[in-house]
Amino acid sequence: MARSPALRLVGRRLGAAVIVLWGVTLLTFIVMSTLPNDTAQTMLGLHATPAQVAALNKALGLNQPFWVRYWRWLVQALHGNLGTTLEGQSVNHELAIHLPVTLELLAYALVISVALAVVVAVLAARRPNGIADRISLSVSMIGLSASPLVVGIILVIVFAVQVGWFPVQSNGLGGGLGSFFVQGTLPAASLGFPLFAIYTRLLRADLVEQMQREDYIVTARAKGLSPWRVLIRHALRNSMFTLITVIGLNLGTLVSAAAIIEVLFSVPGVGSDLLTAIGNHDSALIEGIVFVFALITVAGNLAADLLYAVLDPRIRHGSTNS
Amino acid sequence: MSEEALLEVTDLRVAFAAGGQEISAVNGVSFSVRPGETLAVIGESGSGKTVSCRAIMGLLPSTAIVKGSARLRGTELIGLPEPELRRHRGAQMAMVFQDPARSLNPTMRIGQQIAEAVRTHRDVSKAEARAEAIELLRLVRMPLPERRFGEYPHQLSGGMRQRVVIAIALACKPKLLIADEATTALDVTTQAQIMELLLDLQDELDMALVMISHDLGLAASYASEVVVMYAGKIVEQAPAGQLFGARGAVRMRYTRALLDAIPDMERAAHTPLPVVAGRPPDLAALPPGCAFADRCAAAEDDCRETAPDLAEHVPGHRWACWHPCAAGDNSENGDIPS
Amino acid sequence: MAVPTPDAVLLTPGGPPALPSLLVSDRRIRAQRFWRGARLWIPLGFLILMLFMCFVLPRVVTLPSPTNGTILDGNDALFTPGHWLGTNNVGVDTFSQIVYGGQVSFEIGAAVTAIGMIIGCAIGIPAGYLGGWADSLLSRILDVLLAFPALVLALAIAEGLGPSEVHEIWALSVFSIPTFGRLARASTLAVRDLPFMTAARLSGTRGWRIIVRHVIPNIAPGLVSFSLLGVGLTIILEGALDYLGWGIPLPEASWGQMIASGQNIMSAQPQYVLVPSLFLLVTVVALNMFGDALRERWGEA
Repeated sequence: MARSPALRLVGRRLGAAVIVLWGVTLLTFIVMSTLPNDTAQTMLGLHATPAQVAALNKALGLNQPFWVRYWRWLVQALHGNLGTTLEGQSVNHELAIHLPVTLELLAYALVISVALAVVVAVLAARRPNGIADRISLSVSMIGLSASPLVVGIILVIVFAVQVGWFPVQSNGLGGGLGSFFVQGTLPAASLGFPLFAIYTRLLRADLVEQMQREDYIVTARAKGLSPWRVLIRHALRNSMFTLITVIGLNLGTLVSAAAIIEVLFSVPGVGSDLLTAIGNHDSALIEGIVFVFALITVAGNLAADLLYAVLDPRIRHGSTNS
Repeated sequence: MSEEALLEVTDLRVAFAAGGQEISAVNGVSFSVRPGETLAVIGESGSGKTVSCRAIMGLLPSTAIVKGSARLRGTELIGLPEPELRRHRGAQMAMVFQDPARSLNPTMRIGQQIAEAVRTHRDVSKAEARAEAIELLRLVRMPLPERRFGEYPHQLSGGMRQRVVIAIALACKPKLLIADEATTALDVTTQAQIMELLLDLQDELDMALVMISHDLGLAASYASEVVVMYAGKIVEQAPAGQLFGARGAVRMRYTRALLDAIPDMERAAHTPLPVVAGRPPDLAALPPGCAFADRCAAAEDDCRETAPDLAEHVPGHRWACWHPCAAGDNSENGDIPS
Repeated sequence: MAVPTPDAVLLTPGGPPALPSLLVSDRRIRAQRFWRGARLWIPLGFLILMLFMCFVLPRVVTLPSPTNGTILDGNDALFTPGHWLGTNNVGVDTFSQIVYGGQVSFEIGAAVTAIGMIIGCAIGIPAGYLGGWADSLLSRILDVLLAFPALVLALAIAEGLGPSEVHEIWALSVFSIPTFGRLARASTLAVRDLPFMTAARLSGTRGWRIIVRHVIPNIAPGLVSFSLLGVGLTIILEGALDYLGWGIPLPEASWGQMIASGQNIMSAQPQYVLVPSLFLLVTVVALNMFGDALRERWGEA
């Protein structure tokens, strides 16, 4: 078993992923310890005496040295317990409520951006420098340069304020599929448009590059296949591997962008939760959410690598291109 | 030339617009191929041999501008709309490419790639196409064709990959096969095997073969007619026997230089040709005179002023030179008059 | 001459013969040249204009204050004389906010990119050049920084140290350092085994000398054209931080903060949020286009 190159790859990547995750938790702890340590003060209110604060700090273990606190957190986390928020809720519970909202939003944004990008990139690559190509290049240049924030605001002004198709603020994505589309479309579009731009540019460049440079494309054309068939059956097939990798690698920046979009549209996901937590200096909650964000990022990278290995026969069979 | 030509190319010109410059890749090329004949098109890289053939097949990128005429069994191919051209491509004419490692789609099973070629031109079921693909693998002498059907290109050796590429080309039993440096990327023994296979198949299927190569030795051994190209033009053209035979006579100094680049005719020559001193001219700024003048030992002022036309000086033998080599002896290189 | 001139060939009388027929039309070639130039000069021209507007204009012309206004001038529409982009609800001139906010954006964009480039190269080049365990270690560090949500760190720094331009620069550098680090590592890997590099190594040139003489000059074009995208990305992130109120402290003007305050009244007065949004968008478009044009000329990174 261990002799299979694909499995060895999986093992190496998993190892690296665990190390990266651990590094992130440590970094979070270091950053958190630079924040003013006013957890006890916040919990007790402004009128608490210094003695009371000190007592609570001791009770919470906050007066312990950094490494002790980190070790305690790490052991707890490995047992699946991410601690308690300032308000006394368990962080796990908090995540269980907010995380699905964010994941739904991300999934929605990913699905529409990838689907649109594939269609647009194929249309554009059919005739490089043609009309479709030029339009797609301009649109994706704008998308690439637009922050999700700006896209969100323009979408709100056009589709919520002027046309009135969607609500200005979404207030939750629950309540059936119809409600999900009404509430979630503008946030997902704001997140998805920059992604669409990245994917379209990448896919189009990869397709055009293949169509112009690769000999197997010439072989396919020499068979007498129609240009569309060559593009879709031969070029797109191979470009999808690159696209999958980029999607996985991009997940990290996507979660950060999701936080801003959640604030803009008042979506009750982990992103807006995180911003509140930072405002409240709620270390446990921040650590928990950052951990989940990092987990999504690392899992995305890992999934990209593994899917690539599973899908691409060259890696699957451990080619050495003799 | 009593028999009617299968392929008749007349004054073919190809140019590319790239980076605000015009690159003239092919500048007026004419030749013809009779059914079952083997024509060798010889030249350095950049001489326009590959571009000419891809132009005939309609395989150039859309940035290329193609003028002139190429008739396949009387049908004009240049300017033919893509959907019509597609009916000929792969069916009547097919192509084998230089690098078998790159000319097969790495993520597709080879059997599918062959079956796809079958199904493109004929209305057969998937199962029939599969059977036919296996039959084609057998035709190109692929061992264990049923098992190879489901494998990916990287699982095959270079020679086997090239057999797959040939199988794809032969899927519809074309009348014209263009082999573009089909053996260059292979090692010497495999080279000979693939060449023999091509010639066998040519006989079996009664195809005309256009062999594009930089290797004059290859042309000497296999071709019936030889065309030598330089800077997008034909500079010498003759039956192989007339050029290389016992009393063969290469008249162009460029052809002679290519010939000299082969150290020994017995040792199957596969060396690339940087041996010809100097570099091919810039296709974006061709000189008004003979394009070879700067590299030619016998060049004089008239060469730089006016380009010589390709003309039939001896029956069957055409060349384009103001000061050709002496006739009758290929063996010695000296005695270049000036 | 021993060999007779071929008499069968017709001599073209007089003058140099025509060049090979121009199959490609003159117009097409000129159009290609024009667009190639335009792709570089239009965004560059726009960027120079923006830099002039943000850094030179306020020193030459007296602009209204970007932080104070009189409520008497409040809510001026677009194209009001004296306030051609209007004013906000307390009468602060929009154009002047754009100018001073733009200064901040460009300063932060340039500083964050420079820091990312220098520290990123300091990590990425040795990682790519040395390979082995050093590469594994340095790559893992970059991975951690990349997996760490940049926004969180930026917010935490802003919260812990207090919002200010310098803190924002450090916070955003946490994002630019691993990005440049990864690119520097990848480009170093790509040039490491080129023949001239091997030749230099074999001739006994020391590692650091090879890096300075051969690696850096070869990867620099790619890094520089990427850095323009980096500036654009930083400006986007900076806008987000300001929007969330963790960036440039009030009352100083910034584009993100303008968007945030405009958002509250966007139903009635969409221009407050649209004007800074568009400046943000167009500036980043210009940076990206310029970066693309440079890459087209210098080749891919």
